[in-house]
Amino acid sequence: MDDSVSHDVLDIMAKHAEAEKGSITPDTSMEMTGLDSLKMVELIFDLEERFDISIPDPDFSTGHNQQFKTAADVIRVVKDMIREQDEDS
Amino acid sequence: MKRIVVTGIGCISSLGHNCAEFSEALLAGQCGIAPITLLDTSEFRVKIAAEVKDYDERNHFSEQQIKKIDRYAQFNILASREAVKDAGLEIDKKTSERTAVVQGTGIGGQRTQESGYRKLFTEGAKRLHPFTIPKLIPSSGASWVSIDLGITGPSFSTTSACSSSSHAIGMALLMLRSGIADVAVTGGSEAQITFATLKAWEGLRVMDSTACRPFSLQRGGMVLGEGAGTIILETLDHALARGARIYAELSGLGMSSDAHDMLQPDPAGAGRAIKLALADAGISPEAVDYINAHGTGTKQNDSSESKAINTVFGAHAKKIAVSSTKSMHGHALGAAAALESIATIIAIREQTALPTINFLDKDPECELDFVPNSARPMTINTALSNSFAFGGLNAVLVFRKFNNE
Repeated sequence: MDDSVSHDVLDIMAKHAEAEKGSITPDTSMEMTGLDSLKMVELIFDLEERFDISIPDPDFSTGHNQQFKTAADVIRVVKDMIREQDEDS
Repeated sequence: MKRIVVTGIGCISSLGHNCAEFSEALLAGQCGIAPITLLDTSEFRVKIAAEVKDYDERNHFSEQQIKKIDRYAQFNILASREAVKDAGLEIDKKTSERTAVVQGTGIGGQRTQESGYRKLFTEGAKRLHPFTIPKLIPSSGASWVSIDLGITGPSFSTTSACSSSSHAIGMALLMLRSGIADVAVTGGSEAQITFATLKAWEGLRVMDSTACRPFSLQRGGMVLGEGAGTIILETLDHALARGARIYAELSGLGMSSDAHDMLQPDPAGAGRAIKLALADAGISPEAVDYINAHGTGTKQNDSSESKAINTVFGAHAKKIAVSSTKSMHGHALGAAAALESIATIIAIREQTALPTINFLDKDPECELDFVPNSARPMTINTALSNSFAFGGLNAVLVFRKFNNE
């Protein structure tokens, strides 16, 4: 994952996790990042602002509000939303 | 210590424009949450709220009054008029000076502020309407109740987010106990379903876009509501002297602060407020039959509140009926505790635990009897109304069936 979107997402995640740049990789689990639910809300806000996208809320009907398991999931959702935004415009 | 009783109730909410409609809806487990009509929601993820329905301010206020009174303060007035009438209270020259108005609100005249600022910032307006300030200040609700009813005793507003009206009722209780006043017109109001406020709430990602399911495994957050509630508090002597009907006794107040976080609740803070309320009422935890929970429907509040209740009540927790009526009237924020205090009084009057509707599956982190989906007749001598606000501002009220011993 050496594309620029992935790179930027990981950088933004590292900033919110107060971790060193490059220390979060696509395989890093969300648990490992130490991002709690409130930091996640801020992260999502920053990602939406950076990429001009809208990230939906998780589906609560399953009883789980865990939207992302690893950093790769965050990258995937951001890319999906960028694609959706491009198709809309 | 002076005993303080409730002799009148009045409210306006998504479940109707008065207490009779509110009571009927709560007992039937009706939901007041519906698609938002106050604004265009095409730009929103969340498109539902518990709005006051079919409300036309022109039915209650003159054109001159409407210019000066924000929607939230209109709700304050309507709830207070109903409560005073319900209590059969004559506010004459003598009682007027001995009556207090204490009303909570989270934000105040948000609609006035937002519509004015929109004109100023985006529509090139050069000036704002001269009544903008008196209309938007968060004390205008208390002022208008005092003006409308001719009350000349101490009047003010309290603000503590979702605990605002619980603190209002609590302050009124303390004022009556201390002898500063004999009667209090107390509660709270909120009307903040506006474009910018809804955007701000959406940003926090604590709202469910489908339904409010407090304490359920599938809960996805709160649903915004609006409305107002007023209760009439009186010293027992004053109530007995005028032969008033007594709904319940307000026998305890417990307040605490988490000193922890602006958003994450701490069960220890909530637990302390409950314990202090029981101590103030002079009762043991085993006396409690029903709790009208804060129960917002967010992951954090509901698990934290369940933990607090289980910790304070121990084995007795399982015997208490605990419900969140927010599942029906939404989260009315600064008016929440006012509406929920009235719901608690109705539960005592009807001897019925109110339901938590939209309840699906149990969450292992919320192990209590939540009276799922339908009301349950039971003996209720003692009931709590819990309020745990953002920023860790906690207030718990103890209402008891009146017993003149």
